[in-house]
Amino acid sequence: MTTDTPRALAGITVVETAERVSGEYTGKLLADLGAQVIKVERPGGAPTRAMGPFHKGESTLFAYLNANKQSVILDLGDAGERALLDRLLQRAHALVDDHDDGWLQATGLTPENVAEDHPALVHALVTPFGQGAPARLQYMRPINVINAGGWAYHSPSETAPDRPPLKGAGRFLSDYEAGIDAALCTMASILRLRRTGNGQFIDISEVEVQINRIDAVLGRMLAGEAEPSDARTAYDMGGPGASFACVDGHVFLFMTTRLHWKALCTLMGNPPWTVDFREDWLEFDCTPDNVARFRRHFTAWIAQHPKLPTTEAAQKAGVAMVPVNTADDLPRHPQFVERGFFQQAEHPAFGPVEYPGACYRMSATPVRVRTPAPSPGADQQEVSHA
Amino acid sequence: MRDRGGPLNGIRVVELTKVWAGPYAGKLLAHLGAEVIKIESRSNLDEMRAYGGVDIDAAPYFLSINQEVLSVQVNMKTAEGLDLVKRMIATADILIDNIRPGAMERSGLDYESLRAIKPDLIQCSIKMWGSDGPLGYQTGYAPCFAALSGLTALVGYEDEPPGGMNIRYGDSTAGACAALACVAALHHRESTGEGQFIDLSAVETMTSLVGDSLFAANVTGAVPTSDGNFHPQMSPHGAYPCAGGGWTSIAVANEAEWQALCSTLDAPALAVDPRFITLAARLTNRHALDTEIGMLTAGHDAAELAEKLGNAGVPAFKSMSSLDLATDAFLWDREAYRMVSDHRNGTRPIIGPSWRISPDPPLVERGAPLLGEHNACIYRDLLGLRETEIDDLIARKVID
Repeated sequence: MTTDTPRALAGITVVETAERVSGEYTGKLLADLGAQVIKVERPGGAPTRAMGPFHKGESTLFAYLNANKQSVILDLGDAGERALLDRLLQRAHALVDDHDDGWLQATGLTPENVAEDHPALVHALVTPFGQGAPARLQYMRPINVINAGGWAYHSPSETAPDRPPLKGAGRFLSDYEAGIDAALCTMASILRLRRTGNGQFIDISEVEVQINRIDAVLGRMLAGEAEPSDARTAYDMGGPGASFACVDGHVFLFMTTRLHWKALCTLMGNPPWTVDFREDWLEFDCTPDNVARFRRHFTAWIAQHPKLPTTEAAQKAGVAMVPVNTADDLPRHPQFVERGFFQQAEHPAFGPVEYPGACYRMSATPVRVRTPAPSPGADQQEVSHA
Repeated sequence: MRDRGGPLNGIRVVELTKVWAGPYAGKLLAHLGAEVIKIESRSNLDEMRAYGGVDIDAAPYFLSINQEVLSVQVNMKTAEGLDLVKRMIATADILIDNIRPGAMERSGLDYESLRAIKPDLIQCSIKMWGSDGPLGYQTGYAPCFAALSGLTALVGYEDEPPGGMNIRYGDSTAGACAALACVAALHHRESTGEGQFIDLSAVETMTSLVGDSLFAANVTGAVPTSDGNFHPQMSPHGAYPCAGGGWTSIAVANEAEWQALCSTLDAPALAVDPRFITLAARLTNRHALDTEIGMLTAGHDAAELAEKLGNAGVPAFKSMSSLDLATDAFLWDREAYRMVSDHRNGTRPIIGPSWRISPDPPLVERGAPLLGEHNACIYRDLLGLRETEIDDLIARKVID
């Protein structure tokens, strides 16, 4: 299944000692871009191999996170095998890790040691709260991180104070966000390494990635231009934007201007209730009462309408109303199909499967699934003798 | 222009960006040391300079994003202005835009045309649906990206309509992925001398954040839906009510953590309750368990309880409000927030980068630019124009 197209990170070697999803996703982004990523697994295999969902006895999570990587098994507590890791690091451009201080001390992979032993190596370390955090914060899980970073408290929008904050989509949203910043920094630093011959240490805080993503809102609060508060709605925008149930699923409607409103009225055939709203109500009369009144009427209207034809007509009319697509909708969605977002490839246990691809289509170096996730130690021979 | 160090020192980025996703990409590259030139115009302002105030040089949204970015004014509706933009692009490594589909092409700024000016240019276009496909013409806002992507459908309370992430979620992540792809393309150029076009879809950015769920659905045939705080391998796993409207997140993965939780909550009965005796039992009875835990946490201060649990070996953290975040001593001490220069007030606190890089860290010291703050250095030093030429362009509103 090897697809021989140019790879953006051709010639770059990365060693991945990471064992959590944040570090493994960092490695995945780099591997998908074409780096040689050597995954170091503990005897018995990486922890994510034991995380579901499983199919035919194998972890789908592991298969997703580790395609395009190689695998070696090393017992880092064994001096000989630890020395082998050093040999790997000698010829690598980067080390991607995500462990706590205790593990780093035990394996000798502290930032100080790595910098001393491998001055021409980029060392990226992704942790929940960054370096210097107290021990109890070093083993936080994604749900703790997304709560610590504020997105959970404010999601969904308009949540009532007595409903719990939510973890976000899936189990690993904060890990993926952190992986993006870690891969970005790692590649930037490898570029500097290629130009200067010098490595760097990169300390990524998963919580700080969470707060950086809300700069336009929280930044104004820090500066005193907006009031920080304990309100669950503190990040909200206040308009009528929300998900609504339609005949065959849900739609999301977003409206902020009189043009949006007029277009929606036309789309609905100008029902009588719309005349009770000022034409510019979204801009100048967007009170909670009006929002609630609008939603009552719109809920009744959209409940009678189908998802796809209505949203398509809406887009053409200038209404920002879109279908809330489900996991089932996407692989056969015409836009996803046309752009080839899902890439079919063969997996040794699963057979032909569709991998969600990258959100960037690169004209010269397309992201490809080249090899399925490795079996434990699949590349032991090749790597050990290099 | 000053040397700020950092891994992208020496890389020049030109950006034609507005609102959030595009500027966020520029910000991340600037915070890694790149020289980022934002092309602006008084007659075609970034909306972020207009929101929340009347002074376009002190607009809260704009100041919260565009630190260490350079601003140059050019009226791209004039032929001369467009020509100046092309001259700037000819000096750049990377061009980023997130303007409406078709607008770059109409201005002759499509990749093929620009390659004639700068053969190894890296150009990244951020669009809701990407640059092609049957729906490529559509535009939308961040909550639309999220809804279209499959992400919104996975966020919400069990057996309720999808709630989605907060309405603000989506733009910044799309920008981060754009920055990522641009740096990957720098490597390809470093190796081969070849530039490329990067077509970034904001919808697909959101989809990539639920990649494991979609992959599992494809392999197993089980379609995921919004599932509250459910985790198939941890229980309890959720946010639990505390005193004064606070919440604490708790994630218990194994027996030791479960015992430590029961002990810290002073609930020995819970530890021996047959409904909760194993992880499998706790998962089966998780709604009852959540109710029980909620009754036990309700009287506690959220932060104090989380600290106590954390010290006992139970992963727990307070669910942070905006007030908690803005006043958090740990974040201030770690310089997650830092001060930059500000034209009006001298200094301004900003949310600093999520990274610390050493040695040779990229400096992040200067706040967002005034409109056209860097006109002189860019027209004079970069394009080599004389003062009289610049004055003439200003007089004729080519520089506006």
